[in-house]
Order: sequence, then C-alpha cells, then structure tokens
Amino acid sequence: MTAAAAADAAATVLRVEAVTMRFGGVVALDDVSFSARTGEVLGVMGPNGAGKTTLFNVICGLQRPTAGSVALGDRRLTGLPFDRVAALGVTRTFQTPVMFWGLTVRESVEVALNARAFGDTYPPSPQRELVACGLGTRGRRRAERALRERAAELLAQTGIGTLADRPTESLAFGEERLLELARALAVAPTVLLLDEPLSGLNPDEIDGVLRSIRAARADGIAVLLVEHAVGELLSVADRVVVLDHGRRIAEGTAAEVTVDPIVIDAYIGDELG
Amino acid sequence: MEAIWQYVLAGVVDGAIFALVAAGFVLIYQVTGIINFAQGEFVMIGGMTAASLATAGMPVLAAAGIAVVVAAAAGALAYLVAIRPARKATGVTLIFITLGLDVAIRGLGLFVWGTNPYSLPAFSAGNAIAIFGGVLPPQAAWVLGTDAIVFGALYLFFRHTFVGMAVRAAVANPPIASAFGIPLRRFAFLSFVAAAAIGGLGGVVITPIPGAQYDMGLTYGLAGFVAAVLGGLDSLPGALLGGFVLGILEHLAGGLLSPGWEQGIAFLLLVLVLVVRPQGLLGRAVRRA
Repeated sequence: MTAAAAADAAATVLRVEAVTMRFGGVVALDDVSFSARTGEVLGVMGPNGAGKTTLFNVICGLQRPTAGSVALGDRRLTGLPFDRVAALGVTRTFQTPVMFWGLTVRESVEVALNARAFGDTYPPSPQRELVACGLGTRGRRRAERALRERAAELLAQTGIGTLADRPTESLAFGEERLLELARALAVAPTVLLLDEPLSGLNPDEIDGVLRSIRAARADGIAVLLVEHAVGELLSVADRVVVLDHGRRIAEGTAAEVTVDPIVIDAYIGDELG
Repeated sequence: MEAIWQYVLAGVVDGAIFALVAAGFVLIYQVTGIINFAQGEFVMIGGMTAASLATAGMPVLAAAGIAVVVAAAAGALAYLVAIRPARKATGVTLIFITLGLDVAIRGLGLFVWGTNPYSLPAFSAGNAIAIFGGVLPPQAAWVLGTDAIVFGALYLFFRHTFVGMAVRAAVANPPIASAFGIPLRRFAFLSFVAAAAIGGLGGVVITPIPGAQYDMGLTYGLAGFVAAVLGGLDSLPGALLGGFVLGILEHLAGGLLSPGWEQGIAFLLLVLVLVVRPQGLLGRAVRRA
C-alpha cells in the first residue's frame, strides 16, 4: 500500500459494500459500493427513482438490504435498528422534516445537545434535577446557560437564530428544514445524511444550509448529500457518486462526473424518457 | 345557598384527589399511549398501607411516607409484570391488561386487608377550617397542599428539567426521539412509577377524611379517568381542572338531587364530553403522529 492509499484508508469512515435492495421484482439498489471519508462532502446524484433515498434508508438502518453491508469504521451497521445506528454516530434528515411538536425551536436543539453531552449518563436522574431546578443552584444555572449558548450558536449558523423561542408547530416548511439540520448537527455525528436539504427553501435559507454543510465538513463530519439542485450540489460536494436505476454509474470529483458521457446520458435519457 | 357552598367546598377536596389520579392517567397515556385502568388501585394501596401501619402503632407521617413508597413500588411491579412483556400488543389488548391488573390488585387488597374499613388520624390536630360560612376538616389543607406541590413539581419537571424536555420529545415522536438517545422504555417505566406514587400520595392524604377500604380504588379510578378525559387526556393542567370540576359537580348532584347521582354524574359527564368536546377542556384536537 502506498502512503497516499494508507492515508486514504485511514480517513475512510463509512463503507457501503455491494449493497443490493430488491422490493419484489424491482431492484432499487444493484450492487452499490462506495466509501465516504471524514471531513468530506459526498454528493449522491441520480435521476428520479435512481435509489438515492433507499440508499440512505439502508445506511441509517430504516431498511435492511437484500444483500451487501454497510460499515462505520470497523463496526458493521447492517441489521442494526435506526436508533442503534444513530447512537453509533450516523444521523440523518428527511425529505419531509420531522419535528418534535410541543417543543420550542431552542428546546428541539437542546434535547439533541443533551443526548450528546450526557453520553452514558443520559438521562440524568429526575429527582436530582428537580431539586437542582427548584433550588436554582449555581451549577444548574451554569449548565442551562452553556446549553442555551451552544443551541444559539447552531441556530445562528443555520440561520434561524431569531426563531429560538417559537413553538415548532408554528414553523414554515423551510424553517422546519433548517431546524432539523441544526438538530442533526447538535449530536455531532460522525456521518450526516442529508436528504434533499435544499428543496423548498428560499435563497437565504439555501445559504444557511450550505454554510452549515461547510461547517460540518470543517468539523470532520462525513456529509452525504442527496440533492436535486445539481448546481448547488456540485458547488459544495468534494466528490460525487452517481446512481442510475439502482446502479453506481460514476464516481469522482464534480469536474469529472459532469463531463462523463455515461452521466450525461443517464440524465438526458431520463429527461427524454 | 349555604348548603351549596358547603357542597362546593367538599367537592374541591375530593376533586383534588381526582386531579391527582387524573394526572397519573395523563402521564402514562402521554408517554406510552396506554390508558391504565388500574390507576385507582394505587390510591387504595396508598390509603390502606398508611391506615393499616398507623393502626398498628406507627407514627402517622412515617406510615404515610412508607405508603407512598409502597404504591410507587406497586406501580413499578405492575409495569414490569403486566405491561412490559406485552409492549408489542395493540391498544385494545393493553386496555384489557390494565383492566385485569385493576381486578388483580383489588383482589390482592382484599386478601391482605380483608373487607374491614380502616381509618387514619389526621396529619395535624386543629379546628375545622371555616371559609365564608362553609367548613372543611383540617386535613383538607394537607389535601390541597399536596395538589399544589405535585402539580408544581410536574410543571417544573416538564418545563425546566432536561429529562422533562426529553420526555416531551419522546411524546412528540417516539422513533425519532429514540434516535436522539432518548430511552423510551425507561420513560415508560418511570411514568408508571410516578403515576403510582402520585395516586398513592392522593390515597394517603385523603384517607383521614373518608377512611380506607380495599375497594376504594374503583371509585377513584373511575373519577380520575373521567377527570382526565374531561381535561383532555394529554393535558396536565386539564387533569387539574377536570378533577376539580368533577369533584364539585359530584357533590352538588349528590347533595341537591340525590346521593345516587354522585356516581352517576361522572358517567353522564363522560358521555357528554365524548359527544360535545372529545379533545376535553384543555386538550389539543391534534392527533398523535
């Protein structure tokens, strides 16, 4: 192994190996393999029905592949349920954002921050917390302030800092998307799966998402990005994997895949078909 | 007019206990989606344990403390033995399980304590409390104080603690909450323990007024359920309001119409709420996802 290849292997954090997913006679994913490295944005492109969302579902444990496996570092993820995969550091957002109704924007992020901050001691003892809250001890106030500041940072970064005290029920669609992203970043995941994070957003909101994606990359998170807005995807992705009809047809930098005749054919063929 | 005021006062005292039982219904329903029809039996366990220990010579407050712990332990046991093994079951099955649990606990109460009524001395000596011409027994202050503390603590818990915030997230969307490290099963367990402890505490503080008997859980369970539905099954303030409304209406109906109406009014109210305002007084009409 060359030195460069060794460094590459060390940086690889998520490995998708020969994943096949069949639904009856339909092959949604056909022998797909690729890997993602720490601190990179890996774009996942492909025409409608190419299998992108299925791929995310397989990675995060919502669907079990017919064949093949997914591994996080040395840890095999295939077969583990969604919450176990999340606990190991793979977090995702959904095409339709999923909110915690009844919580405010700030609280939604704080819940996620707490899960991370307390680790194995989560959740803290209700009795002890009640006493600390009731007495308003100095330690308690300090903990609350630290949590609040961290939440404010994340909300400011995604561009919804001014919405902190709004109930989540009152958010517009784009705001929900940004909150879901802030909440996902709050758990400081190893791998972050973003499923069409830009769709339905206005230009300001798109800036917030792209800014957050770059910040996540700088923090060493491997970001997997499914996005129909090809221009934005190519502008932020370090590498791109292209799927078509469940098969991986190309992989490379943005510059490489955009001139790849197979990719062009897949997209144009799709539009004509 | 004086009589009516006296009924209202008596209704407030009973209603305070209904509110505690209703809070137990709401806690368990919110966290697990289960309607625990055995809720009234924790009132019985609390009342009977305190009364029998005090009768055996234990100081009243010590007996009261132990009774609450026993009720909480009974709630923990009920969850581990009857609910947890069936957590994959559907709603109707779980309702039958809690109904069975109710009968089983009452039977156990009969086995342990027999059919004789027990009494418990008031927690503090003193004269009757006079309020605008009406009178309440001194124990009423303990009853209302208990409500203030319990509901105050619940408010603090849900609005200001990290655990309470996590419970609210779990209530909003269980699968996603569990992906954020929120332990759903632990919360289900804790909701049963807390509901049982609160119900037991209700039984302990009310027993000095009417006394305790092995089958008292039936009355409190029904009243607590109606109070919870009246307030909206997903609202703790609703449970508090529902408890007082039901308590006052029961005493007014019992006093002004006939004693038979005291129980009947609960059913009447239940039907009325389900027809006119199914989401309850303070509940949200939004369905759970």
